[in-house]
Amino acid sequence: MVGSNSKFLIHGLLLAILLGIPHARGEENAIKTNELDTQTKFYIEKIRPLLDEHCVNCHGSQEQGGGLKLDSLDAMLQGGDSGQVLKVGDPSNSLLWKRISSVNPDERMPPEGDGLSKSDIESMSQWIAQGAHGVDESSQQDKSWQERLEHWAWKPMRSEPIPLRLDSKENLASPIDGWIEVKLNQKQLAWSPPADQTTWLRRVYFDLIGLPPTPEELAAFVADHDPNAKGKVVDRLLANPRYGERWARHWLDVVHYGDTHGYDKDKPRPNAWPYRDYVIRALNEDRPYSRFIEQQIAGDTLPIDPGSGLSSADNNEALGFISAGPWDAIGHTEVPETKTDGKIARHLDRDNMVATAIGTFASITIQCAQCHNHKFDPFTQKDYYALQAVFAAVDRSERAYYADAQVEAEVSIVQRELAAVLEELKQYQTEVRQATGEQLEPIEKSILELTMPLKGQLPVEYGYHSQISPQSKTSKWVQVDLGEATPIETLRVHPCYDDFNAIGPGFGFPIRWQVRGSNSPDFQNAVQLANHTSADFTNPLWCPVEVDCKSLSAKQRTVRYIRVDAEVLVERSRDFIFALAELEVFNDAGVNVALNKSVTAFDSIEAGPRWGAKNLVDGKTPTGKVAVQLAELHQAKIDCIERSIPQTLRDKGLNLESKERQLRSRLASLPPPQRVFAGTIHNGSGAFRGTGPDGGKPRPIYLLARGNVTQPGREVMPSALTGQFGLPDLFQFPENQSESERRAALAKWLIHPAHPLTWRSLVNRLWQYHFGRGIVDTPNDFGRMGGAPSHPELLDYLSLEFRDSQSIKHMQRKIILTKVYEQSSVVHNPDAIAIDSENVFLWRQSRRKLEAEAVRDAVLATSGSLDLKMGGPGYQDFVIERPEHSPHYEYDLADPADSKTFRRTVYRFIVRSQLQPFMTLLDCADPSLRVDRRNETVSATQALTMLNNGFMLEQAKRFAGRLQHEFPKSDPERKVVRAFELALSRKPTESEAKIVREYSEKHGWENTCRLLFNLNEFSFVD
Amino acid sequence: MHVPNFDRELDFVPNRRGWLSQVGNGFGGLALASMLAQDGLGDEEQSSGATHPAIVYPRKVKRVIQLFMAGAASHIDLFDYKPSLLKHHGKPSDFGEPVEAFQDGLGPWLKPVWDFKPYGKSGKMLSDTVAPLGKVVDQMSFIHNMVTTSGVHSAATLLQATGFQTPGFPGAGCWVSYALGSMNDNLPTFVVLPDHRGYASNGVKNWDAAFLPTQHSGTVIFPGKTSPITDLNPHPSASFITPTGEMEARSALAQLNREHASQRVDDLRLEARIRSYELAGRMQVAAPEALDLSQEPQHILDMYGIQAQGKQWPTEINAPEEAHHFGTKCLVARRMLERGVRFIQIWSGNDNGFPRRNWDSHEDLRRDHGPLAMGMAIGATALIQDLQQRGLLDDTLILWTTEFGRMPSSQGGAGRDHNPYVFTNWLCGAGIKPGVTCGESDEWGYKPLDRNKPTKVYDVHATLLKLMGIEHTKLTWRHNGIDRRLTDVHGHPIEAIIG
Repeated sequence: MVGSNSKFLIHGLLLAILLGIPHARGEENAIKTNELDTQTKFYIEKIRPLLDEHCVNCHGSQEQGGGLKLDSLDAMLQGGDSGQVLKVGDPSNSLLWKRISSVNPDERMPPEGDGLSKSDIESMSQWIAQGAHGVDESSQQDKSWQERLEHWAWKPMRSEPIPLRLDSKENLASPIDGWIEVKLNQKQLAWSPPADQTTWLRRVYFDLIGLPPTPEELAAFVADHDPNAKGKVVDRLLANPRYGERWARHWLDVVHYGDTHGYDKDKPRPNAWPYRDYVIRALNEDRPYSRFIEQQIAGDTLPIDPGSGLSSADNNEALGFISAGPWDAIGHTEVPETKTDGKIARHLDRDNMVATAIGTFASITIQCAQCHNHKFDPFTQKDYYALQAVFAAVDRSERAYYADAQVEAEVSIVQRELAAVLEELKQYQTEVRQATGEQLEPIEKSILELTMPLKGQLPVEYGYHSQISPQSKTSKWVQVDLGEATPIETLRVHPCYDDFNAIGPGFGFPIRWQVRGSNSPDFQNAVQLANHTSADFTNPLWCPVEVDCKSLSAKQRTVRYIRVDAEVLVERSRDFIFALAELEVFNDAGVNVALNKSVTAFDSIEAGPRWGAKNLVDGKTPTGKVAVQLAELHQAKIDCIERSIPQTLRDKGLNLESKERQLRSRLASLPPPQRVFAGTIHNGSGAFRGTGPDGGKPRPIYLLARGNVTQPGREVMPSALTGQFGLPDLFQFPENQSESERRAALAKWLIHPAHPLTWRSLVNRLWQYHFGRGIVDTPNDFGRMGGAPSHPELLDYLSLEFRDSQSIKHMQRKIILTKVYEQSSVVHNPDAIAIDSENVFLWRQSRRKLEAEAVRDAVLATSGSLDLKMGGPGYQDFVIERPEHSPHYEYDLADPADSKTFRRTVYRFIVRSQLQPFMTLLDCADPSLRVDRRNETVSATQALTMLNNGFMLEQAKRFAGRLQHEFPKSDPERKVVRAFELALSRKPTESEAKIVREYSEKHGWENTCRLLFNLNEFSFVD
Repeated sequence: MHVPNFDRELDFVPNRRGWLSQVGNGFGGLALASMLAQDGLGDEEQSSGATHPAIVYPRKVKRVIQLFMAGAASHIDLFDYKPSLLKHHGKPSDFGEPVEAFQDGLGPWLKPVWDFKPYGKSGKMLSDTVAPLGKVVDQMSFIHNMVTTSGVHSAATLLQATGFQTPGFPGAGCWVSYALGSMNDNLPTFVVLPDHRGYASNGVKNWDAAFLPTQHSGTVIFPGKTSPITDLNPHPSASFITPTGEMEARSALAQLNREHASQRVDDLRLEARIRSYELAGRMQVAAPEALDLSQEPQHILDMYGIQAQGKQWPTEINAPEEAHHFGTKCLVARRMLERGVRFIQIWSGNDNGFPRRNWDSHEDLRRDHGPLAMGMAIGATALIQDLQQRGLLDDTLILWTTEFGRMPSSQGGAGRDHNPYVFTNWLCGAGIKPGVTCGESDEWGYKPLDRNKPTKVYDVHATLLKLMGIEHTKLTWRHNGIDRRLTDVHGHPIEAIIG
């Protein structure tokens, strides 16, 4: 097959041979082995791969562990801190051999993994014994490392004098054109004439806002004779909100944004969209690029200053950058970090974060240094793991934030007060402990021991649960009918357990409550059995509460109905409820007479097996067999506290508890926080714990031998590539620095004014989207295996201008208002094809096939049904079936006439595992890949989807309806003209008009509009 | 070492490709090259040196059918007979080392749920639940020492399907399509027949083209659905389309497009797109014909276990229903092969949800594995026999695989946990030495017998590519700075299984 890729194969191999770069195992050895003697061959085949794989990472030209290098004969003979390591001819006296063959794990090299295989150790012995031939006297690695550093992209940007026009009287308005012309002249190419006005306008509209000009806009432009007419158009389009929508899509390609996780189950990410909206907003506001970078990597470390584009929303939502790519949910939520599969999942997850951050902003392929040093670029494995360490604390998770600064301020005040109260409560606990001496501790210890295993054996039936109430002070009751008046001795009230809102034991247990008995169901005449209505009752958590009725007379305590009244309810989640697991009522014989009796309540939530009034007397409790013991311990605890703690101290405790509740409910009454799916500290439990429970402490990151999580080497500290580019080390932190400082340092490194990659990377991406090809045609790889810049001076000119202006819009204006941009895309000089068929040197503009989004948006705009609503959750052009486990995203069940889907395509809800068929056939970016340049294909299945997809046919109908509406009296001539202007921004030729009119007369306008949408011209921009 | 100068050699090829190469490797070249592939010029008859430089071996295999059991099929209960488990059934399992299991399913040793019997001349032991395969067992070759690197379904499925355990890599069929192109002019090159209930984990990421051009993506076909291929026919909501309107639209379209292209002659994409509409028209005729099983005689339908249309099935999973659905896909696959489709992937089992409709039998092997395996065995047996009687097995390779195996210990009494440490593949057909076993598992079916010499998916893929004439280390595509391969940096063809 003829593919632009095939040349890389050759290129890559050749380069590898020229540079003597060792190949990975399994790859062909490129050396002409017949010219080398046997011993050299032995070195190359056996020893060098062994050294490369196991030794030179730490003992090579980049690092000299123990002062030792093992990459040349000189270095080996010279040895390191432990002296000489190679004694030629004598393996048993060579430290090199002794250390690799040692059985002492403290001595053995390499320290990670299981060490070298027996046969490798044997080979080393044989090689030393036979004279250690074959190894270069001086370090090949040093040389090749030096060569690696000699690469244009690592060099500082240079400001060259802007070239003068060489052979023409005409002055070039832009330095850009000057640089282009220099190359054209060098290559004996010439400018193409400018495109006509219509072509230019359509081109610039699609480029900047991704939509065609309306016929009215076109007419106005053609009629505008102002010499600055083009400048005005560009300014107007850059200020149009559609601009951000268009350019955000390019950005989302690069960061591989999606609205589901991907992998197994592929659950939705309901809060991914705030990041997408952030990108649109930031581009529309022309956010300074440095700030754009800082926000996406470490927005949480930036001050809030909405006037400078630093709103709370921006600083938080931008962190969606880190989490934009796919996430192996099962590998995280079902497999803990202690298991190998869990380690792999997290390692790969961080790998994706590193590759995205560095690939996006710096256009280098640092991820290639995961298993070994980078094969072509000057990056070591340690460089790579140092970057993993930057992201070592964060996970992909929901991040809560307050977009409203006032609310945020109030929340933080309440949180501060709450923290103070909690601190006082802790103090109080200490005082209690002091007051009770050693009595309380064993009781609490016993309670803890008994309750520890309970969580794993909870019954499915939770208990009784009232309806929810908006306030705490609400009376609710639940009662049991014993069937007949029965003498009662004791009662046991069991609290519920529910993990809802992370509450757990004591769920729904009232703060103030009482128990009453009566012989009438409406409690007209009642006797009080327990009273906790005048003071707050400390939540008993797991422990059942005993109520002793024996102090009452036998007559008083002979009742048929028992009722628990809740007077002050406990909070659930911004609302209040009353719940109990079980109510046991014991008669004189100690028999629970309430069991399976009839229960009524003020109100109740009846929800399946879990919650129901009858569960109050079903005999199933969270504490099961240890209920009695716990009740006794609880009573003992209360007795102990009452006995040994003065009333004043107890009041203090109750007061603090009440304060805590008040603050919590105040917190609950404030507007809820917004949420964005982001790279953030995750506060979890179970398998997916995150680092939140450890206060966001970064996980230790180890250098993994061959990228294998089961072979960790030494720990690597956070850092960014410094030596290679002569940039300062920004990672000198004091101990216990917050993890976010690591990310902030990475951002500062990226935006360093002398960074050789950041500014070049972005202007190159801009250039590509305006010319169809970057100055460097591998926008994600500026390394030595990437493309070389076609116009290096131009690239640096643009990069410096961009660094100094920080403005993407400024750069685009500069790029568009040039001679090179406005050239015609038609070949005027066929000889040029022979010289430069790929138009690398821009002797014409490139004709571009519209991207999937632009096609879809243009269809909507043409049919008149485009909905310009901005932002918010994405539109869904599928039906979700079976959402409970693995959602099925069924595109063919969606209604193509659903007008909610008529929004711009950037607002599409992007599913990773079930790609949108229409968009995918039109080569939209795959959200599992970092796409710097889209593939462009033509295929039969693409033709089928353009012809037959429900969306296309619905819009053909609407396009026809629009024409019908505009020309209610049949007026085929004008309809044809209007249809061409709407769809193609031009009038039809006579023959075209004839073909279309005749077709429309025979088959109607719906079919005609479908035909127009399928024209080549509709999908291409000249 | 000879480094082929691909670009230069092309210049000397006095055919359309040579001419194309002068136009360059830009978009125009790519697009038309893809169209040419559709014309069949990408195939081996193109011997002038303009084939992909990775094609260096004689081609024994022209087409591939991959059978993928989603959810992880138990080697122990189907193909890999372990008498030790019979002997020690019910005793506490002891692996002689600490074992990490996905759900800690390390209960007592659990004997195979079904009895095993010997079949064929080779006397290969097969479980009763795949007994139909006994008829063809002498043609099958087994690899019982497959290992993988992940016990998580998604990652492991991706690894078997694409050679990488993160999404974003092309499926094996995509690579084959990229290297060899098409053998027909009206059907896709790479067809995927998913489980009729839906996709396995990762969905289309198991077969889409990722960074390769989209035309190499697996085309999903759901036989029996109203629209078996995406947008093959107009969406039913468009009642305005008539056959004559359709016909005349195509001709008007071609006329208008040619007029447009006539002023832009240098741009081959425009011509390619015009021809793509012609191809689309051909596919609209060819695909329904290929999917029309009513053309098949009754004895063939019976052989594949296919029942009358509209048959009502019980709600519980059952063997006849599984056989019907799997058999339908197998028969469709045969018809696709006959019409020049190069690579077909057939899936058994959808996502890992409940009730189980895939091979992830944590709870009850008999309940799920029983019907799924019997259904698969009936369909696969029929496929092998049918291909053979038509001579198609001479150049078709069948590969049976799954993402990992299941543990020899029990989970909850009647189920088994994941076993990424060993599992089984089998191959059959062209290029394969029949009736052999390459690589054994240990006495429990826990790990490979020789732990230093396991077989990995890279080896299977390298074998498959070699049989198709391709050197796996040379079939590459540059993406984000790396020359990507189906086999990553690993893989050796399994010479012992190559016939």
